[in-house]
This record gives sequence, structure tokens and C-alpha cells, in this order.
Amino acid sequence: MGTERKLNNRRKFFQTSAALVGGTLLYSLIKPFEGLAQPKEEETKIDKADLPLWGMGVDIEKCIGCGKCAEACKIENNVPREPFYFRTWVEQYTVKNNGEVKIESPNGGIGGLKQSVPDEDIFKSFMVPKLCNHCSKAPCVQACPVGATYISPDGVVLVDESYCIGCSYCIQACPYGVRFMNPITKVADKCTFCYHRITKGLQPACVEVCPTNARIFGNLRDKESDLVAFLQENATQVLKPHLNTHSRVFYNGLTSEVK
Amino acid sequence: MPKLIFRLLLTFFVFVGVFILIQRSVTPDSFGKYGHYRANSLDDNLMKPFYYKGEAKCTECHQDVFDQKASDLHDAVRCESCHTPKIPGTVECKVKPPIVKGTIEFCAQCHAINAGRLEKGVPQLDFKEHYEKQNCIECHNPHAPWELKEN
Repeated sequence: MGTERKLNNRRKFFQTSAALVGGTLLYSLIKPFEGLAQPKEEETKIDKADLPLWGMGVDIEKCIGCGKCAEACKIENNVPREPFYFRTWVEQYTVKNNGEVKIESPNGGIGGLKQSVPDEDIFKSFMVPKLCNHCSKAPCVQACPVGATYISPDGVVLVDESYCIGCSYCIQACPYGVRFMNPITKVADKCTFCYHRITKGLQPACVEVCPTNARIFGNLRDKESDLVAFLQENATQVLKPHLNTHSRVFYNGLTSEVK
Repeated sequence: MPKLIFRLLLTFFVFVGVFILIQRSVTPDSFGKYGHYRANSLDDNLMKPFYYKGEAKCTECHQDVFDQKASDLHDAVRCESCHTPKIPGTVECKVKPPIVKGTIEFCAQCHAINAGRLEKGVPQLDFKEHYEKQNCIECHNPHAPWELKEN
């Protein structure tokens, strides 16, 4: 009797194992062919001319370095509060009388920038807000080995957080140093122009809080937008134009000291 | 066909077949719909919670404060520039009112003397000379800074 039960158990065990393994194998064999039964959607061509093309203008002549934008960005996007993780930050450039350039950005400018050079040594001083330039030919997108960072149809460079493998290639590829490794999600993180806000008709958080309107956000295709007016009124430049990244963040009052 | 060549071809096609099978089963569903990325990721980015509500939303309840602000020099400053939100924008803001203490440090973020701020139309003060110990809001109404409170 004992042997019979043993045999029965062994038989059952083999049957269940075979069913499990076979089922898994069968599923993995069938899954790739699902596409054949129901033809996969072809790469959808969307008419990009109907979509907005987002861009930002930054007026250095208006920025007072209060750091509200950097603070708002951290709140809006749950960026870690430690002073090395920034999606946007403000730098203070001080050109001294002897020609030296001092660049500083303590805590990204949060809490207001303070001038550390004595007044008598200063030739000129100004603040430059920095953020992702949302290049139309983005080096970070070219560097990503898995397609986890991409340019959205409306011209915003985004990260696919669930698909990113955290290899940091994009962080090295970015010539503007705007990407960082998020210590919580362990994937690459960057400015998204507050994609969750702009698609709801709101302004990005940094633009919303700027007290002097030094940041102008808008649709480059809408000829009546504030951004297009800003570009028409001012002689704007982009950062590092020699790299041909075709960025969509335009600076007014940019001088040669700014890197 | 020689046996050797037949075996070689067979192995080759088996390898190609296995490669296609693996590739098809590991590629995510919406990959390649708009380009070399997962199209569903656009929705992931869209769905994130927002915190800043925008001035229009604040004005729905606080029209009086907004009018006062519009009448004075802080008209270009948005509500949430000072009143930073503490809860997601979808939650009723009365849960955690974003009250600001108008301390010297807070106002100094914009109004402390800095060579980079000159000629930008923002009044700058040496707070030690101005009023060292008092909080700014003890004299100034933050919504209309030129209206001094009577002490």
C-alpha cells in the first residue's frame, strides 16, 4: 500500500511539472505570434504640424536669482532635496575687474543667491537659470541603448522611467549637464518642461512661480504666443550653439562667459 | 544538396527563428508606435500628480487678495511664488493652508542686496540697516508692500 501511494504521488508530481513547464513553453511560443493573428499597429504617423512645439525663453536681464524656480521644480517633481539633484537651478556669474569669472550656485540658488565677491572687485554680475535645453537633435537620445529616453511628438525630451536600465550613458552624453541619476528611482531624471502640467494647459512650475517673468514658456508654432513675441523682440541665443543640438531653450542677454 | 550544407542552413534558420521569437516576446507592447520608444511612456509622464495649481485657481476663493495684489508692486508675483503648495493640486487646499511667515530671510530671497540684481527694478535693502529685529510683515502688507501698517 505504501509503495502504491508513493508511486501515485510521483506520477502526480511528474504530471503537474510537465503541465507547468509545457504551459509556460507553449505560452512563450505563442506570444510572439499574437501579432500575426492580429496584425500589429504600424508605426503611426501623426501630423506633427497639428501638435504644439514646446519651447522656453529665459531672460537673463530679468532674472534676480531668488531661486524660486529651483525650489518649485523640486516640489512639483518630487526631486530629492539634497543639494546635488536639480532639474533646474540658477547660477550667478561674477566677472571681476581683473577678468576672472566666478561661477557659483550654492544649493542651486534655492533660498536666494548671495554675492560673495566684494562690490569693489566686481566688473559685472548676472544670474543664469539653467534647465534641460530640449534639443531637437538630442545627444542623450542618441546615446540611450534601450530607447528609454526620447523626443515626444510635441518636442519634449522625456525619460521612460519603467524602461530605463540606469546605465548613465545619457548623463555623460548631455553637454549641458542637466541629467542626473535619481537616488530613489535609480533611473535617469531630468526636466520634462513639467509634461504633466503643460498637457493640462498649466505652465511649468518654474514659469508659474517666477516673480519677474524671466522665464517665458509657450508653443513655438503658435505665432501669437508669448514665447514667439519674446523671440521676435529680443536677439536670443541658445547655449553651446557650436554643438548643433538645435535646442529649444532661448536665452536673451547671453554673454560669452556663460558655459 | 550535400548533407553538410543542409545542416548548416538548418542551423542558420533555427538561429534566426529563435532570435525573432526572443525579440518579439521581450519587446514591450507599444514600442515603436511613434518612434524608437515605448509610446505608453507618454501617458506615464502625463499621469504624474501636479502640485502648483496656478493663480486662476487661487483667485476662485481669494479674489479680494488678488485685487489688492494687482493694485501694488507685487502684481507680477504669482500667489504660489511665496505660498508654496504642500499637497497635490487635486486635494482641497484647505487641508493644509500654505501659510508663509514673512521673516527677513524669506523676503531677502528677492530683496537682499546683490550686484547681479541692480537695475532690474527690484528694491534692494541692507536688512541690518533697515530693521534688524522685526519681521517684514510687521510693517509691510506682503500683498501690497507700499501700504505700511500703522504701529
